[in-house]
Amino acid sequence: MNPTAEARPVLDPLFAPPFPQAALPVLRNPQLRKNVAHAIDVIQAKRAKLVAEKTDWQELRTAASAIRMHVLENLGAYLEQFEARCTAAGGVVHWAADAAEARRIILDLLRQENASEVIKIKTMTSAEIQLNPALEEAGISPFETDLAEIILQLGEEEPSHIVVPALHVNRSQVREIFARRMGLKNLSDNPKDLTNAARTFLRQKFLTIPTAISGANFLIAETGSVGVVESEGNGRMCLTLPRAMITLAGIEKILPRFQDLEVMLQVLARSATGERMNPYTSLWTGVTPGDGPQRFHVVLLDNGRSSILAKPKQRQTLKCIRCAACMNACPVYRQTGGHAYGSVYPGPIGAILTPQLMHMKHAQSLPFASSLCGACYEVCPVKINIPEVLLELRAQVVDQERKQTGRISDPMYLGLRIANFFFASAGRFHFAQRMGRIGLGFFTGKDGWIHSLPSVGGKWTQTRDLRGLPQQSFHEWWAARGKETK
Amino acid sequence: MSAPADSRQRILDSIRGASVDLAVKDRLDQASAYAALPRAYVRRGALPRQACVELMMTRLREYDAEVVECAPAQLPATIAAQLAAGGKRSVVAPAGLPAEWLVAGIDWKIDHDLPVAEIEAAEGVVTACFCAVAESGTIVLHHSATEGRRVISLLPDWHLCILHSSQVVETLPEYFDRCVKPPALATYVSGPSATADIEMTRIKGVHGPRFLNVILVRDEG
Repeated sequence: MNPTAEARPVLDPLFAPPFPQAALPVLRNPQLRKNVAHAIDVIQAKRAKLVAEKTDWQELRTAASAIRMHVLENLGAYLEQFEARCTAAGGVVHWAADAAEARRIILDLLRQENASEVIKIKTMTSAEIQLNPALEEAGISPFETDLAEIILQLGEEEPSHIVVPALHVNRSQVREIFARRMGLKNLSDNPKDLTNAARTFLRQKFLTIPTAISGANFLIAETGSVGVVESEGNGRMCLTLPRAMITLAGIEKILPRFQDLEVMLQVLARSATGERMNPYTSLWTGVTPGDGPQRFHVVLLDNGRSSILAKPKQRQTLKCIRCAACMNACPVYRQTGGHAYGSVYPGPIGAILTPQLMHMKHAQSLPFASSLCGACYEVCPVKINIPEVLLELRAQVVDQERKQTGRISDPMYLGLRIANFFFASAGRFHFAQRMGRIGLGFFTGKDGWIHSLPSVGGKWTQTRDLRGLPQQSFHEWWAARGKETK
Repeated sequence: MSAPADSRQRILDSIRGASVDLAVKDRLDQASAYAALPRAYVRRGALPRQACVELMMTRLREYDAEVVECAPAQLPATIAAQLAAGGKRSVVAPAGLPAEWLVAGIDWKIDHDLPVAEIEAAEGVVTACFCAVAESGTIVLHHSATEGRRVISLLPDWHLCILHSSQVVETLPEYFDRCVKPPALATYVSGPSATADIEMTRIKGVHGPRFLNVILVRDEG
């Protein structure tokens, strides 16, 4: 089946449908659900094994969390330090307040390089600012070089995961895409052959295209260095062969010192891909004469991040190192896949990051796309309390809606105010219990279960039964028991 | 500078404005706040030296790297044997590779700014390394004169890396302890290039060298 047969999912929060609606195409597509579940089961099993062998896993998490929070608490100073050190090493640092400015800066730099083509290392930040469409519009062809990104680019697919973005596409679908777009009619669906096809397809691009764009896993304030973590070597190609290199990085990507990598690298690979260490990690500092690109630019992107920083409970969102452990652990993501989140950042982290990057103006169904089970918090290597932020955002969404609809006309608000009245005093509560027992008695069957309720209550009993209220409350039983023993 | 300077100021102002609730903490010395960060994780491994080196070799083999051992005096002969076994004739070497490692019978391409096409055409590369981390089977390159420019350990499909047992540490923090100052360039290699992007099936060899060979030189105890 051609994976593109379905309407292409919208990953721009401005236009994406609400989560429950966006989730439907996946829930109705058994192949897609199978692909997602398979990929996640494999990563989860590998991660669990490698985390279990680390005797100091919790200490590493504590350190990683503290380092990231320390950075956020001192972000201005560390950014200035990074800028100074990177500049001293021959790099040029640019600041972009929003996505449009980042696109403009990158396009200007590419024009200075007379670039008509550019090779790219996988970067979610570039997807966040929708860089590829802007490049194409300006007549510059972007070539993704990560295998998953090639699958998506050639198949005109959208990413559904931040570490393995094509996990929703299976081998026969990849074969179909490669055969069609690379003109390889006799290609098999063996992953080894597919990988080889990608290697051959890209080799010439690496050797001939003189301009590259990357993201960054880490920016090191102490040295002005940039770090990229990868598996395939496409990153090393892009960092080494071109004449000019542009790195796009969120302002929160800073680490204070080189040595902090001893913590971050240990938690990142284990959390992301279930490896003790990813095959390749590259670190470079400005420009090194005779080795690698001789013109190097860093574009520091804000795009809503500093406004997240302003909110104490939500600030922790920016500790994220984009390992995707939360989406792999999430029971909701496992069912819906990534496209339902209507953003390039899916899963639990996307559910809190996307609405905040959008200043709470869009993607407001996302904070509700969770069962609050806490699995994401448990696996997070930098201890982001995602359920806490979800609840905070839910409260904000409800407050906003109430402002629009007015309090009195909101049945949820009225219901909860009434509940509040009864729960606030023991006498009123016991009275309500008695009334409830009498009222629900009419609907309770001989077996002690309520099978059908009228009106709003019917929404519950449509799909499940409800236990009838017992003849005696615990409080009443306790009081009666006291009398008997005397 | 192509970016308007006011964006820089605006972002920094916004960050400082956002951290108002931290202002007091912020003025608290940033360096001492950093020094006070909790670091209760394992710094030094507990394995005896021999077991640590064994672990490194096990990890490399798990990555499908080929590992052979030799005594220091046997190194040139072992290099020659490895090149012969791989059928390599045209081989790149970093400018600072010790002369005795440049064994006879090989068409050595010494990297004095070799053009990319020539590196791409070579059959292999021989380099030293900065150190290795046994726990994760990681080879650390700092791209010194004996390790070479980044491009030479990237384009050839076959990489022979010379690792001395004294260079093997057990944990990642122990590597950082060995860095007197941070390197300007570094590459950490944990097995040959790989991907799991298609149905999470691990495939060796995408863009980096597909074959990683390691000679472990027993230079301690």
